[in-house]
Amino acid sequence: MSRLLQIFSRRRHYDDLSVSIREHIAERAEELMEDGMPQAEAEQTARREFGNIGLIEQRSREVWQWPTVESVLADFRFALRQLIKSPGFVVTAVLTLGLGIAVNATMFSLVSAFLLPHLPGRDPQNLVVPTSINPDTNFQPSANPVSAPNYFAWASDKRLFSEVAAADEYRAGSLSEPGQQPEAITYAAVTANYFSVFGEAPQLGRAFLAGEDQPGHDHVLILSHGLWERRFGSDASVIGRTVRFNREEYMVAGVMPAEFRLLGFTAQLWAPLTLTAEDRAPGSRKNRFLYPFARLAPNVTLKQARVQLSTLAQQAQQDFPAVESRWGAAIRTLPEFLIYTFGIRPAITVVMTIVGLVLLIACANVSGLLLTRAVGRQKELAIRMSLGASRVRVVRQLVTEGLVIALLGGGVGLALTFVGIRLMRAGLTFNDAISAVPVTLDTNVLLFAAAVSLASAMLSSVVPALKASRTAINTDLKNESRGSSSCRGNNRLRVVLVGGEIAIALFLLIGSGLLIRGVYLLDHQKLGFDHDHLLTAGIGLDHARYADAIKQEQFVRSLTARLQQIPGVTGVAVSSDLPATGLGSVTFHIKGQAETRANEQRTTGDVVVTPDFFEIIGVPVVRGRGLTDRDDAGTPRVVLVNQQFVHKVFQDRDPVGKQIQLDTPGAPAAWSEIVGVIGDIRSFSEDPRIEPQVYECYKQRPVAFLSLMLRSNVDPTSLTPALRHTVAELDPELPLLRVMSMDGVIDMQRSGNPLFAKLLASFAVLALILSAIGIYGLIAYTVGQRTQEIGIRLALGATASDISRMILREGFKVAAIGSAIGFVVALPLPKLFESIFEGGLSFKAPVLYPLVLAAMLAVVFCATVGPARRATRVNPNDALRND
Amino acid sequence: MAKDPERRDLFSGALDLMILHSLRVKPMHGYALAKHIKQASDELLQIEEGSLYPALQRLLKEGLLESEEGVSAKGRPTRIYRLTAAGARQLEREVSSFEKMFAGITRVLAVAEA
Repeated sequence: MSRLLQIFSRRRHYDDLSVSIREHIAERAEELMEDGMPQAEAEQTARREFGNIGLIEQRSREVWQWPTVESVLADFRFALRQLIKSPGFVVTAVLTLGLGIAVNATMFSLVSAFLLPHLPGRDPQNLVVPTSINPDTNFQPSANPVSAPNYFAWASDKRLFSEVAAADEYRAGSLSEPGQQPEAITYAAVTANYFSVFGEAPQLGRAFLAGEDQPGHDHVLILSHGLWERRFGSDASVIGRTVRFNREEYMVAGVMPAEFRLLGFTAQLWAPLTLTAEDRAPGSRKNRFLYPFARLAPNVTLKQARVQLSTLAQQAQQDFPAVESRWGAAIRTLPEFLIYTFGIRPAITVVMTIVGLVLLIACANVSGLLLTRAVGRQKELAIRMSLGASRVRVVRQLVTEGLVIALLGGGVGLALTFVGIRLMRAGLTFNDAISAVPVTLDTNVLLFAAAVSLASAMLSSVVPALKASRTAINTDLKNESRGSSSCRGNNRLRVVLVGGEIAIALFLLIGSGLLIRGVYLLDHQKLGFDHDHLLTAGIGLDHARYADAIKQEQFVRSLTARLQQIPGVTGVAVSSDLPATGLGSVTFHIKGQAETRANEQRTTGDVVVTPDFFEIIGVPVVRGRGLTDRDDAGTPRVVLVNQQFVHKVFQDRDPVGKQIQLDTPGAPAAWSEIVGVIGDIRSFSEDPRIEPQVYECYKQRPVAFLSLMLRSNVDPTSLTPALRHTVAELDPELPLLRVMSMDGVIDMQRSGNPLFAKLLASFAVLALILSAIGIYGLIAYTVGQRTQEIGIRLALGATASDISRMILREGFKVAAIGSAIGFVVALPLPKLFESIFEGGLSFKAPVLYPLVLAAMLAVVFCATVGPARRATRVNPNDALRND
Repeated sequence: MAKDPERRDLFSGALDLMILHSLRVKPMHGYALAKHIKQASDELLQIEEGSLYPALQRLLKEGLLESEEGVSAKGRPTRIYRLTAAGARQLEREVSSFEKMFAGITRVLAVAEA
């Protein structure tokens, strides 16, 4: 504390000191005068005897200072003064760095949101998630949910887990109030200990009590913070209130805080999961829908748990071979599980690499700028060093300047990041799970931006500082002629820097060009059906009112009949999944065909539709017949297959008449006859794959979750009110999910890839612009260095065009080297993309390469033409003078 | 401390000791202090100003001295340094440790001669 106060009293001490010293000398002089010396000589002698007044005073002052801190502050002040004097340089450097930092920080917000998620509860890293391993799928096979018997078996093994909760995270329900439209709610059904396993206390009210997941006590709800805000207006009196949920009365017991969010699990409320005796029976093993969340028993490591779990899975395989054969078990920590399941890690890695490259280009540019500047200050640095500054001190001064630029760049970068994150959030709406994760400028991003600023400061300024200080030692202090002080090494370094920038920019341009073309092809690929003038809506026929197949089928029949009556509707169909939005998959057997390998089973896509489906979406029946109203529960089971199925399974032989058995969940396996073949529809609108598909008849296998499709001869969304009204007539409490036109659905699904491609393209363009600035700087600098040489050439008879050609050639030489490297590095890109976008998308685009090259050359030309023109205007007289 | 190589080099605490003691005898300003030490040591010790003023500032900073405005022998304004209570305590500590060291050296030298 006294140290701080000493800052204020310092002034006084300095004054005291100088008064003392002055008086000391005056007294000595007087003494000498008393001894007879004349005044002038006495004063001189007194001063000489004292010594180096300035030095002594400074040394005395230093007692009151912190010399290192002071000199660093002095460096800062000096750096600021120098920078204020050259605004052009500062603006260029700060903007360049700011852009580089901004794109990095913006993309890092994705990393922060998805790969470093803030997980709720107590000690989330020690929560584990056991899952099953699905042998028949390629999509995230080892994070498959488990069945209720699995859960019971694992929960009862006290050596493995100290506590286990289970959740069915993807349920759809409805909240309704009399007189209002029922609202579709996504919710999770969880065991009573769910929240205590996580260790997260509710913000209001209470969590579930033990026993509330038993039948008869389970009409309790816990709301999510978002739902509480949105639907209940953040009203604290909601606790204890009764609401109508899934057509029954439930009591609201608590509200969870806003931070309780597990990445992409978007439950809006939690209801108890009631598992009955039926769920324990072996018959339920096929139904895998639970995600367990557990804490390991004390002294059990994850590795040990993995081994134990495999043993349990193998035991299950032996005990229940029909259902469990080839199914394994896996276990992960909660963070690992969430990142795997909602994994956009590969995409983020790619993006971060690219913006890292962009930042490198920015740093290279700033480096070049600093190099130029340092060369211009050779004299100043040489004088400093001759006055006694050590090399370290000079380097520190130059690095401080780089640091100030980096700080300013960081500030600009942060401001741009704010905007960038906003823009990106708007673009992330193509996927519910992804847009559920909040992407913000949080502490992680701030720290990252700060770290990146510092790193780029170091990167950009250290090498120029070292170089500058080294040449300063060797510089003569006499007036040299302009142009002879350029160091060969300096130039070569800059050529390498700029060449590297061009290589990176070219690589990025080619990559994004290929991607954009691929995305364009995907966007315009034929999906195989007519998706205009179609209104769609999702319906979940809940158990409470539509408990059995008969009730479900009855509802669908009445609804379809009524929907046909709506003016503007030309056709109505129902399907378990909308076309091109992904579909369920089942394993199947063909009667008379042996399995290819003893253990392997084949899978196919599977959809349940009403007979009008194919007509409504305009898919032709190419062989055999379609489905008709006469195919119902009483008649033999029939299915249709698509052409790809015929190709893959029957090798293009006629499938009509063959018998097929589908292992559908929740229904006994039955043999069906293939009666027709229809045209191919792509499984996903944003994917080029065509997969085998089987179409079952709704009346023969009703499902509870289905999509309505209405074909209209007017704008489909204009029919929305009529649709809602008709459904409400039949069942006022049944909510409709996502009422959208089919075109709208497809657009939304497809917006993921274009976002990626657009991002990459903008980075590539940014890289190109930065490289152009780099080349401009380099050539301008060289022209400045070669003024004398140019003057001589002009004096000896060179024409202006000779000079400008010479300068342009220099620019193109660097561009050529950089481009060559860039092309070579970009060679494996088409193959790489083809393997990522599996399914036959061709990335051969020979026209792209000349286009990119031409763009690069054009940019290089524009960048070099300015300095070249300036070179031609050199006045030979001025240039030849030694100044 | 002394310019003349013939004069002995003193240990580093010597200057502080001299200053503290001299100022305890009588508070003085810088020039008077330098003269006092020179006279009191019969010219055996001459303080370089280059060491005196930094030492004075250091002792000020450590709180062993305080300075106040005053008037020099010739009537001109200057700063007068005086010992603080802490300075007096420090002086006693230093004197006692100096005396111990001096006694020790004397005894070692006595042994060698015998």
